[in-house]
Amino acid sequence: MAQTAAIVIRGPRTPASAMIGFGLIWAFLILFVLYPLTRIFYDAFANEAGRLTLANFHEFFTDRYYLRSLWNSLVLGVATVITTSVIGIAVAFLIIRYEFPWRNLFSYLAMLPMILPPLVGVLGFVFILGRAGTVNVLLMDWFGLQTPINFMYGMQGVLLVETLHLFPFMTLSILDSLSKVDPSLEEAAQVMGANGWRRFRDVTLPLTTPGYVSGALLVFIWTFADFVTPLVVGVQDLLAVQAYLNIVQFVDRRIFRMGIVISALLVVLAIVFVLVARHYVAIKDYSSLAYSRVERRRLGPVARWLAVGFLALLMFASLLPQAGVVLAAVGKGWSLTALPVHYTLDHFRQVSLETPRFIVNSLLYSGLAVLICLAIGVPMAWIMARTRTPGRGAMDALTTLILAIPGTAIGIAYIRAFHFPLPGIDVALTSMWIILPLVLAVRRLPYTVRSSYSSLLLVHKSMEEAAENVGAGKLITFRDITAPLVWKGILVGAIFSFIMSIQEASATLFLTLGGWEMIPFGIFTYYIAGSHSQAAALGVILIVLCAASLYVVNRVAGARVGGLFG
Amino acid sequence: MIRTSKPSAFVLTTLLAAAAPVAAQQIENELVLITPVARTLTDPALAEFAKYAREKWNVNVKTSALAAGTPVAYGRIVEWKGRPEADIFWGGESALFDKLAEQKLLAKLELPKSVVDSIPDSIGKPKPIPLKDPKGYWIGTVLEPYGLVYHPRLYQRLGIEPPKDWDDLLNPKLKGNVAQCAPTRSSSSHATYEVILQRDGDEKGWAWLKRLGGNTGIFTARSRDVPAVVARGEFAAGFAVPSYMAFEDRLAGHDIKFVAPKTAWITPEPIGILAGSKRPRAALAFIEFMLSERGQNMAMERGVFPITPKYRVQGKPGSQAEMAVEFTGGLRSYFDVDVTNIYDDDKAQARYEQVNSQFRKEIESVAEELKRK
Repeated sequence: MAQTAAIVIRGPRTPASAMIGFGLIWAFLILFVLYPLTRIFYDAFANEAGRLTLANFHEFFTDRYYLRSLWNSLVLGVATVITTSVIGIAVAFLIIRYEFPWRNLFSYLAMLPMILPPLVGVLGFVFILGRAGTVNVLLMDWFGLQTPINFMYGMQGVLLVETLHLFPFMTLSILDSLSKVDPSLEEAAQVMGANGWRRFRDVTLPLTTPGYVSGALLVFIWTFADFVTPLVVGVQDLLAVQAYLNIVQFVDRRIFRMGIVISALLVVLAIVFVLVARHYVAIKDYSSLAYSRVERRRLGPVARWLAVGFLALLMFASLLPQAGVVLAAVGKGWSLTALPVHYTLDHFRQVSLETPRFIVNSLLYSGLAVLICLAIGVPMAWIMARTRTPGRGAMDALTTLILAIPGTAIGIAYIRAFHFPLPGIDVALTSMWIILPLVLAVRRLPYTVRSSYSSLLLVHKSMEEAAENVGAGKLITFRDITAPLVWKGILVGAIFSFIMSIQEASATLFLTLGGWEMIPFGIFTYYIAGSHSQAAALGVILIVLCAASLYVVNRVAGARVGGLFG
Repeated sequence: MIRTSKPSAFVLTTLLAAAAPVAAQQIENELVLITPVARTLTDPALAEFAKYAREKWNVNVKTSALAAGTPVAYGRIVEWKGRPEADIFWGGESALFDKLAEQKLLAKLELPKSVVDSIPDSIGKPKPIPLKDPKGYWIGTVLEPYGLVYHPRLYQRLGIEPPKDWDDLLNPKLKGNVAQCAPTRSSSSHATYEVILQRDGDEKGWAWLKRLGGNTGIFTARSRDVPAVVARGEFAAGFAVPSYMAFEDRLAGHDIKFVAPKTAWITPEPIGILAGSKRPRAALAFIEFMLSERGQNMAMERGVFPITPKYRVQGKPGSQAEMAVEFTGGLRSYFDVDVTNIYDDDKAQARYEQVNSQFRKEIESVAEELKRK
């Protein structure tokens, strides 16, 4: 099989257009990923004079604080994977396998936490659960609590926010693979006498592993690279936070360089994680010839209400920050009371002058970014999953790198790499707005590639080979056979990319110039300027925008395949 | 090439300005600031300036401000390497402006002599704080102290008197209730650390700062997060600068007050034009506007103080200007009072990185242990 593919690629039937496409993908990757990264690595291994040195890394590994940050980041990442796994898997199984009241409503609600813009989300949690948040104020006023309970300021706060924000990513990944597991396999296991736990362990689990591992990886790396959440709750001994804080203070050049060094280290570590995970996913051949129509089981009365209760409680907790954000957006001078005392629409009025431009910019740049992601990412996934083309390992390594790099580092890398007048037009790329969709696309490319890749793994090669045997070329086979079978996975990846792009506020932070502001940049500048209420008002607008896009996509997908949730 | 061509073009325009005043009165129709100063000050400043430009030159200036903390703004200007995406750098510590001028990243200000002369050379004793650059690369715009903010209602709950001096932050009842930004992250916080170190000397100063670390409930990412968390009552007190949003919270209806201890350092909020700016005339016009009576009045309504003895913060009862006076404890002009300054910026800049390292080692990395003491 492998040899056939290799022959097809190199053989006379390979159309020139495929080769050009292949070349274009590589040109894109080299120019917009490899070249700026080289710049970061160069900085990490260089001193102020520009000479190569290992002193920076020596400083890192002899500094107790940095080492503690490294350890904390690992622990936090693993802890978040565990908590999101428990919740995410439970939700996925309930939604896809069982019938209970309001199942469809819950399946939509379960996606909502995902569209919580990171900065606004944690602010929302603080409004409700902070030291002067609603819960503590009620406890103090009603029950005479003396010292407020510390829900938020510390590692526990970060874990709480990450868990409730990220479990839908786990749910989505599991749902995608689970909906393709052929129930006949499970039935067969049942007939053979394997039931309950045994059936789950021997049949269901291995079949959903690729989806689970990519979900877990996503959660782990997201937590690992998130600096905003810990910052708001005052946790600074994490690697990503150290990288960000060191980079954004430019005055002390030595600390600045350590930020670059830590970023480079984050990259190296993430390569290790992804390599481990990829190896695990790649060694088995998960294939299914058909999407399965899953028969949902009715739950008994007690179990049914337990399921509804669990989901309702979970949704209540995960939607707390949205409630906090909305309250903060309409509250005036809200402090030390359970709910705002005075209400106002001033914050919306203040932001409304600028938001139309923010919204247009957000939609335009994120839309373009998704198109770039699809144009580059889907063919990349296909090359990796289906061909033996030389260099696909390197291609994979590159997308891995992207996943790993903190956005701030990418922003800096782009400024350093592209701030020179381009020959011919005498304008630097950093002075053209196209750099924003470009950097967004690069940042979110891995989501598209990974989701397309894991979907492709589930489509058996034999179908594509059959098409090729009757004379269809690679492109036609892809269009007529592969794409229709995997478009659901690709769509999920595109939604990820879009929602993540429209919420991105780290790489773009350094690159945005006047007139290019997207909503998260607006939120960030209001937050930076200390205007939390205006930040919250913009946050509400972004949440509404994302919820609407999610709903539209859900409807479009629903008309064709009965909803993203099978 | 860029560095030499732009300033010479700039010199040319100023020469033309001297020769043909009518032609020089046209300014460019765009202006971009990069600034740590809060939007509550920059937004009205830019809006008023746009009005002024329409009246004076009949030009519609499209204005915008890139909000960035002082270090970030400084870093971006350095990264731009003389091809700036903004025209004006406004706010922060004058030492950074000197550093930029050394790197030839600031253009010389061609301001009328009367404007420059209206601003005293310095303020404060025994260490005078420069209010303008003798070499002419930057000039002060407004005065504001690096002091303290606190939440009066939370203070009441905790059963303690409002703070008056730095030492009040060490009250054991404030344990876990102080918010501060690390000096490694914020130049204004760094300056306040230096005030303590220079007031008490190294040994006692660091002991003081460690005790403060023990009372600290949060290290924020930026200095202006401190008033933000204090305004909401999440924490009770911390270091702050009025226009870095502290007054903004007061305006937004929050219960928050500011106090400048006697030894608080005062910043002149320097302003300068970036070398290679594409809009040098609009930039210069903006600076002149800020130093005019109209500009100073606009700023005085935002909780900051005039840069010249010519004006005092004053308004009708209940006006925003009077609210600012109340917020900052009754002061109307720094030229009305004797300003004590013990902060030596040269000394601070010379050991900037050393203080950062010592903070990291003795406070940041052992913050948990300090809290338990």
